[in-house]
Amino acid sequence: MSVDRIETDVVVIGGGATGIGTLRDLSLRGIAAVLVEQGGIAHGTSSRFHGLLHSGGRYAVSDTLSAKECIEENTILRRIGAQCVEETEGFFVLLPEDDPDYVEPWLKGCAEAGIQTEELSVEEARRLEPEISPQALRVFRVPDSCVDGFRLVLHNAMSARRHGGRVLLYHKVTGISQANGNIQSVDVIDTLTQTKKTLYCRAVVNAAGSWSGQIAALAGLDVPVSPDKGSLIVFNHRFTSRVVNRLHPGSDGDIFVPHGSITILGTTSVATDRPDDTKPTREEILRLLAIGEPLFPKLQTYRILRAFAGTRPLYTPGNAQGRNASRNFQVFDHASDGLHGFFSIFGGKLTTYRLMAEKVCNAVASYLNVNTACTTKDQPMVEEASAEHLKAARHAFPVGDLSLMADRVGDDLEKVLDLAKKRTSSSSAGNPLICECEMVSLAEIESIAQDPDSHTLTDIRLRTRLGMGTCQGTFCALRAVNAMFEHDIPLSRDPLYELRAFLQERFRGLAPTLWGIQAQEMQLSRAIYAGVLNLRKETYAVKN
Amino acid sequence: MSIHLDPDKCLACTTCVVHCPVAEATPAFLGPRMIGPAFERFRLLGIVEDDSLKYCANCKNCEIACPQNVPVATINMLARMAQCQEIPPSFRDWIVAHGEVLARGLKYFPAWLKNMGTHLSLMRTLLDWIGIHKDCPMPNFAKTAFRDHLPRLSQKGFAKSVAFFPGCYINYYDPGTGFDLVWLLNQAGYRVFVPKDFVCCGIPLISGGFEKDARDNTRTNLRVLAELNAQKIPVISACPSCRLMLTREIGEFFPELMPKEKISIDDAQSFLLKCIATGELDIKTAHNSSVNISAIYHAPCHLRAQGAGLPALELLSYFPDIAICEANAGCCGISGSYGFKKEKYAIAQSVGARLFQRITTSGRPLVASECGTCRLQIAQATKKPATHPLTLVRAALQGRPLTLG
Ligand SMILES: Cc1cc2nc3c(=O)[nH]c(=O)nc-3n(C[C@H](O)[C@H](O)[C@H](O)COP(=O)(O)OP(=O)(O)OC[C@H]3O[C@@H](n4cnc5c(N)ncnc54)[C@H](O)[C@@H]3O)c2cc1C
Ligand code: SF4
Ligand code: SF4
Repeated sequence: MSVDRIETDVVVIGGGATGIGTLRDLSLRGIAAVLVEQGGIAHGTSSRFHGLLHSGGRYAVSDTLSAKECIEENTILRRIGAQCVEETEGFFVLLPEDDPDYVEPWLKGCAEAGIQTEELSVEEARRLEPEISPQALRVFRVPDSCVDGFRLVLHNAMSARRHGGRVLLYHKVTGISQANGNIQSVDVIDTLTQTKKTLYCRAVVNAAGSWSGQIAALAGLDVPVSPDKGSLIVFNHRFTSRVVNRLHPGSDGDIFVPHGSITILGTTSVATDRPDDTKPTREEILRLLAIGEPLFPKLQTYRILRAFAGTRPLYTPGNAQGRNASRNFQVFDHASDGLHGFFSIFGGKLTTYRLMAEKVCNAVASYLNVNTACTTKDQPMVEEASAEHLKAARHAFPVGDLSLMADRVGDDLEKVLDLAKKRTSSSSAGNPLICECEMVSLAEIESIAQDPDSHTLTDIRLRTRLGMGTCQGTFCALRAVNAMFEHDIPLSRDPLYELRAFLQERFRGLAPTLWGIQAQEMQLSRAIYAGVLNLRKETYAVKN
Repeated sequence: MSIHLDPDKCLACTTCVVHCPVAEATPAFLGPRMIGPAFERFRLLGIVEDDSLKYCANCKNCEIACPQNVPVATINMLARMAQCQEIPPSFRDWIVAHGEVLARGLKYFPAWLKNMGTHLSLMRTLLDWIGIHKDCPMPNFAKTAFRDHLPRLSQKGFAKSVAFFPGCYINYYDPGTGFDLVWLLNQAGYRVFVPKDFVCCGIPLISGGFEKDARDNTRTNLRVLAELNAQKIPVISACPSCRLMLTREIGEFFPELMPKEKISIDDAQSFLLKCIATGELDIKTAHNSSVNISAIYHAPCHLRAQGAGLPALELLSYFPDIAICEANAGCCGISGSYGFKKEKYAIAQSVGARLFQRITTSGRPLVASECGTCRLQIAQATKKPATHPLTLVRAALQGRPLTLG
C-alpha cells in the first residue's frame, strides 16, 4: 500500500488551543507548518474546560508568575479574540465560612501581579447579581472574563490557514522517526479513511496536552505530564452574568462561569491515568452542587442540562499531584535528551495558550534559524463583522440579532450570509431556525456542513451550538437531519445512524445528572425517538 | 426594570406553538416557546430584543396549553415592557392602551360627537393613518358611563352589598350589562356599588408595554381591594380579562406590590351560581317565562386562562328558556386592541376565522360571551348580535324579551 507523503518544515501535534496557537504563530512568522489532530477541532481538553479567561485572581496568592501571565494574556485575548471572549468581569466573594485573613494577602498578590480589584458593597454586588448569597461578607470586582475554548481554537485555525498553515483533522500520530539524532518524519493515519501518511519535516512540536506523554513515548522520550480529571456542570440558564469565585485558596466547585445562554459550575480535580477519561460521575456532580450552594443558595433549583469532564495536562515533576501541582507551563527542547528538532509544550491554562505558543515557537524558530518575531498578540484572529453588513442581511434570518451567529462562524460569515440570502430569495421561510434553543438557522448549518472538515452532526454541533441548549437535541437533531436530507446537504453517514449517534452522545452527558426537569426532557426524547420513530438500538446500533 | 422569569421549566415540547393562534396565522411570529422561555435565556445575555415579539397578542393560549405551567405570555409581556423602556411606544399604541385616560378626558363631550370617530369615513381614514385599521370593529361610547349612572339607581333596603369592578368596557361602552348585573344582584339581595378609586385593571397597558402606568393602576386597585377584602365585602368582575389581571397577572408582573393576604375577586357568573346554591337567588320564576333564547357561547381566552371552568355556560344552562351551545373554536383574534392595529388586523381576522365559521354555521341567531372586545369582533365578522351572558340571564329570569342592537 502506498503511503501519502507530505513535506513541511514543522509538524505540530495536537489540535487544542496550544497546538493551534502554535500553528498560527509559526504561520504568522512565515514558517511552513502542518498540524495533525486525531479528532475534530479542539477534540481534547480545550473544549472540555471551564471557560474562564482568568484575570489571575485565582493564583494571586499561590503563584504570582501565573497570575501575572494570566492578566497579561487576558488583556491580549480580549483584543485579538473579541468574538471568543465575553467581557463579563468577575466577582470574588468572601462567605462567612471563608477565612477573612485571606483577603489581605490576596489583595496584595493581585496588586503585585497587576490585577485591578475594586471592593463593592454587598448590596451593590447583589443588585448586579441578585442570585448571589445574601450571606456574602465582602465582594471584589476583577477583570475575569469568559472564553469559548472551541471557538478560540477554531478562529486560531482560520487565522493560521489564511497565513498558509495546514490543519489535518482526524489524523492520529502513530509514529515519530528520527535519523542521527534529528527529527525526520511523523507517521499518521487518517482515522476516517484509514489511509496512512508520512509527514517529513525538520521539527516537531508536541502539543498533545494530556496526551503529550504518549507522543513523547513514540519518540522514545519521557515528559512529566499527568492527566488530572475535572468535572463540570452545565445549567440551563444564565443565573449570573459575571464570573463568580469564592475568595479563598482555590479548591473544588468554587467558580461559576456564565457562557452565552448557560452557566457552568466547576470543577473537581482527580488524578487519572487516561488522558481521555472524560466521564463525570454522579458523586462528583452531587459534590459540586453541595460545594456551590453557599455561593448561590438557589443552586439546587436551577435546571441542569448536562455534565462533562476534561483532563488537565499537569506538569508533575517528582509526582506532585492535583491542586498542589504547578499550573505553570513547560517548554522542553528535547535536544538535551539527544533528539534535535523535537519540542514539547504542555501544562499551563487555556488563558495562557498564546504565550505558550510564543515561547515554543521562539525555540523552534531559533532552531530553524528564522528571525521573524512573534506577532500573534497584535493581530485579531478574525475580522470583526460590521454592524451595517449584518443589518443588511437581517431579513434573511429568522431571528434579528445576528451578532451571536457572526461571532460563532468567524471567517465563514460571508458564506453563511450568502446562503441565507439565497435561501430566502425564493421563499420568506427559506431559512428557518433548526435549533431554537441556541438559535441556529438552516443556512448556518448548511454552510458548516459543506466545510470539508465537517463529517458528523457532532462536528456541526460544535461549530453552531446545535443541540447544546435546553432540549439537548430532542427536537433539533431530527429537524437538522431532516432539513439536510431534504435540501441535499451532504452527510457522510446514513442519516438515521447519524441521528442515533448524535443523540447517544448527548445522552452521555445527561446520564450523570438525570433528575428533575432534565429527566422529563429525556422521557420526552425517548418517547419521540424510541417510541414514535422506533429508532432503537437493535435497528441502528451505534459503535462508541 | 428587569424581572426575568426562570425559563427552566420549559421542555421545548412545542405544545404551546401548536396552540398559539398567532403562530398559526403568521410565520412572522417566532411563536410562544421561542419568543418566550427560549428567548428569555438570551435576554439574560443582553441580546437585542427580537422584532417578532410585537406579534404576541397576550391571548394566553400558550399558557393554557403548557403542560409545565410556564408563564409564556407573561414572559413575553415582561420583555415587551423592558423593550418599551428602550424604544418608546407609538402614539397609536398609547391611545389604544389608555382607553380609560382618553375616555375621562373626553368625558364632557357628548357621545354622538365621540362616536363620530367610529362612523365617519373621514375619521376612520384619519385613524387608519395613525395605525388603527379602517375596517376594524370599534365600540361606541354610551351616553352616560356606568359609574356615573349607578348612583342614580335606587338600591334601598339591601342588607348585604357587593363591590363591582366594572372594567373599562362595561363602564364606557356597555353599561347595559352592568345594569343587568345590578338587577340580578339586587334580586339576590345585594346592593351593588363601585368604589370610587377603582381604575383600569391595567391589562391594556401591559399589552402595550406601559409598565409604569400599569404599576400605578395596580397599586391603586390593590389598595381598594385590600380595604374591601378586609371588610369582607365580596368583589366581583364581569370581565374575564380584568379578573385574570387582578387575581393572577399583577402578582407576576409586580410581585413587590403584592400584599401577604390573597386578594379575592369573584367572577360575576360564579358569584350568581353561589347565590343560587345558597338560595339567595331564586330562579324558579324563570321556569314560567317564555323568552326562548337560542344562542351560541364563546368562552374568551382570558376566561379559559383562569382555569376555573366556564361558569357562564353553567349558569345559562339553569334556564330552560335558554338553548345554549358552546362554540369551542378557539380565539376570536381581537385580543383587546390587537385586532384594531393596522399591521395586525389581517392576523386577527385570520385567527378568528374558525370561530366565525363555527358561529355562522351553528344556525344560532345570537352569540354570548363575557368579553366586550370578543363580542365586537364576532358581531362584526358574523353579522350576528353578541351579548354578555348576564343579559340573557336577566331576560330569562325577568321574563323580558331581549332587545338587541
Ligand atoms: C476541567 C477543566 C477546567 C479548566 N478550566 C480552565 C479555565 O477555566 N481557564 C483556563 O484558562 N484553563 C482551564 N483549564 C485548562 C485548559 O483547559 C487546558 O490547559 C488547555 O485546554 C490545554 O490545551 P492543550 O491544547 O494543551 O491540550 P488539548 O486541548 O487537550 O489538546 C491536545 C490535543 O492533542 C490531540 N492528540 C492527542 N494524541 C494525539 C495523537 N496521537 N495524534 C494526533 N492528535 C493527538 C488530542 O486529541 C487533543 O485535541 C481547565 C482544564 C480542565 C480539565
Ligand atoms: S399569548 Fe397568545 S399570541 Fe402570545 S404567544 Fe401566547 S398564544 Fe401566542
Ligand atoms: S412553554 Fe410549555 S408548552 Fe411551550 S414548549 Fe415550553 S413546556 Fe412546552
